[in-house]
Amino acid sequence: MDKILRINMGADGGPQAKAEPVGSYAGMGGRALTSAIVSKEVPPSCHPLSEDNKLVIAPGLLSGSAAAMSGRISVGCKSPLTGGIKEANAGGQPSQMIGRLGYAAIVLEGKPKDDTLYKIYITKDKVEIKADSSLKMLGNYALVDKMKAQYGDKIGCISIGPAGEMKMAGASVAFSDMEQRPTRHAGRGGVGAVMGSKGVKAIVVDDTGCSARRPKEPDKFKEANKTFVAGLRKHAVTGQGLPTYGTNVLTNVINEAGAYPTKNFMWGRFDGCAKISGETQAETENTRGGEGSATHGCHRGCVIRCSGTYYDKDGHYLTKQPEYETVWAHGGNCGIDDLDAIAMLDRLDDDYGLDTIEMGATIAVAMEAGICKFGDAQGAIKLVHEVGKGTPLGRVLGNGAAVTGRVFGVERVPVVKGQSMPAYDPRGIQGIGVTYATTTQGADHTAGYAVTANILGVGGSVNPLKPEGQIELSRNLQIATAAIDSTGMCLFIAFAILDQADTFQALLDLLGSFSGQKLTADDVTALGKKILKMEREFNQKAGFTKEMDRLPDYFKKEKLPPHNITFMVKDSDLDQVFNW
Amino acid sequence: MHTGRVVMKPRNQASAAPLKLSLTMSGNAVSRFLPILGEGILLKGLGGETVEDFLLKAGAVSPVYLKERVQTVFLNGKALDDFSTAQVADGDSLALSAAMPGLAGAVLRRGGFYAAMRRQISHEAQTQTAAAGEISVILKLFNMVARELGPEFLKQGVLVSGDQLRNFVERQGRWAWNGCLAAEADGQPVKVSQIAELVRGREWIRLSVQGSV
Repeated sequence: MDKILRINMGADGGPQAKAEPVGSYAGMGGRALTSAIVSKEVPPSCHPLSEDNKLVIAPGLLSGSAAAMSGRISVGCKSPLTGGIKEANAGGQPSQMIGRLGYAAIVLEGKPKDDTLYKIYITKDKVEIKADSSLKMLGNYALVDKMKAQYGDKIGCISIGPAGEMKMAGASVAFSDMEQRPTRHAGRGGVGAVMGSKGVKAIVVDDTGCSARRPKEPDKFKEANKTFVAGLRKHAVTGQGLPTYGTNVLTNVINEAGAYPTKNFMWGRFDGCAKISGETQAETENTRGGEGSATHGCHRGCVIRCSGTYYDKDGHYLTKQPEYETVWAHGGNCGIDDLDAIAMLDRLDDDYGLDTIEMGATIAVAMEAGICKFGDAQGAIKLVHEVGKGTPLGRVLGNGAAVTGRVFGVERVPVVKGQSMPAYDPRGIQGIGVTYATTTQGADHTAGYAVTANILGVGGSVNPLKPEGQIELSRNLQIATAAIDSTGMCLFIAFAILDQADTFQALLDLLGSFSGQKLTADDVTALGKKILKMEREFNQKAGFTKEMDRLPDYFKKEKLPPHNITFMVKDSDLDQVFNW
Repeated sequence: MHTGRVVMKPRNQASAAPLKLSLTMSGNAVSRFLPILGEGILLKGLGGETVEDFLLKAGAVSPVYLKERVQTVFLNGKALDDFSTAQVADGDSLALSAAMPGLAGAVLRRGGFYAAMRRQISHEAQTQTAAAGEISVILKLFNMVARELGPEFLKQGVLVSGDQLRNFVERQGRWAWNGCLAAEADGQPVKVSQIAELVRGREWIRLSVQGSV
């Protein structure tokens, strides 16, 4: 991946594409690259929908190689939702294809002079940018079908739905999966709105004729990959729990812990949880679709296969297996215990191009405002349709929970830096609350997700039993996660690496043998810190202050049943997270 | 603040004997009943026993399995790090899970490195010994633990509330009794079409489910 494809959508005479060497961005991938480009080239004070913002789509360092689990992709920009720097992450096929096409990143720049909608087609021989008004307001499913009909069944598709075209701050960018369905999304932070502001409806990639990226030390790479895969397969989480139940395996456990945000973060337990648990979901999928329906990879080379396929009551495909976050956001957080309705909401979010977390949190705020009742599944479905159609109410909802709360006078809005909290109540698991408050991304559970921080020795040693251990743990997790987000690796590898020293070593060997450079814990720390420093500096210049590294006040005052606890981490401690 | 309807209340167990419902299922159909175990089954034990002893005596659980497979444990909703010292008491709720993914999984893990991040919901060591005597405990089995231990528990028979079974049947819809080869209620053969009526109004049901040989 030695070049960057820059597409200026506002060039005189029409959009223009230019491939240039990676230059000073050499050696970067994924989040490292998106944050480097955004922090260097985007004025922090710009309007996120202006010509000065850039949308950077970057596969990881290993994407396009034969490394297992390396199909993740990063999408970066200044976020219309948070006003700060954003990296949203997705699975699907395009990451590997862009890697094999040789691009370290695709950068959308500028802005068309009018509202012409474009599609971009990229092969190894050309980059074609064409206006296509027939795509206007198409849902992602119909759009991808149209692109397949036009360009064949070997393509990968990166697209926005109507929400992105309408530049809603809850809009996602969709990435097609192995079946060429638009089911994988870079959801958080309104990246879809930025793509919409550039007038780009779809980027179609076709890597026909391209080979897998070759490692510098092929034999070592092959051996490391073999050990890595074996380690993932034998571990209880990556080899059994996730392929059997998917991420929704967490519902029962988080609910039992009393940290399952219920009815707009009112309670920590949902009494309808059994109906929407991962166990129930897997049985439903396997019963309706046949054994194995609950096991599916989001990209070729995924050996964990935490996704699945959800069929309706009549056995027809409805959507990919809803993730834990989606089932929570549209389920427990809205008081809805109907798995079929939640699956429909997932389908609609994918089709309209919406972040399921933001959408679910927004509907819950709308329910608190009395727009519809908690537990009203059909009412929630209608609200998402309002968003997709762009009605006045839909325009409010599509711009997220913070806007919705402001419009309808709701105090209890669970956001940090304007972005909705995910599916863990910070009063229950307070260390996650530290991450929600302090990450550069707004409330985000994946920003501090790489639990191998202690194994990697990232940040030095921590006494986890000390009260201030939470601050140091969150710091180390954020550093390690930022680094892993640059590799293209799926974060779910983390548990196997945590427990199995040989699997951890295999990952280091994979990275080292691919690049030809040995990777140490210090290197990981340095990379993670570099990324976070860039992001923090961007945010500061964008006007962020330390007062924004806080949870909403009511989390410190309102006790969460069943444990009746409040968020107790002091503001002065939160301010220590980035002290290094 | 009310947290929602509680499905099982072992202290209020009705004096009427539970209905004994035995099902013989074909193929993989037994697995359809595993989610019921996640809602809780009622077990008897002795007050003051450690969680570990209680589980070993409950049957179908070996010490090795407990140590290596049961990576996440909750006692009354609090994450438990040491089940060889924590004691069970009448009315307790115990939940067992395999290792969970992601940060939450690592944080909730029994004796895990990241336990500090959930200190406020960690089980604290007891200072008093729980009262002796026969006790009732709700046991919940989640995910792979349900998959691995569940079939034997179901074969032996589990005590579930009538509401649990009725909700399960409603959720399953037309698949509820797919694969059911034989059914007995209180030792008498019954048709699957009769089951809904038989369980109506029953507070407790001893459900046993086994696969056909």
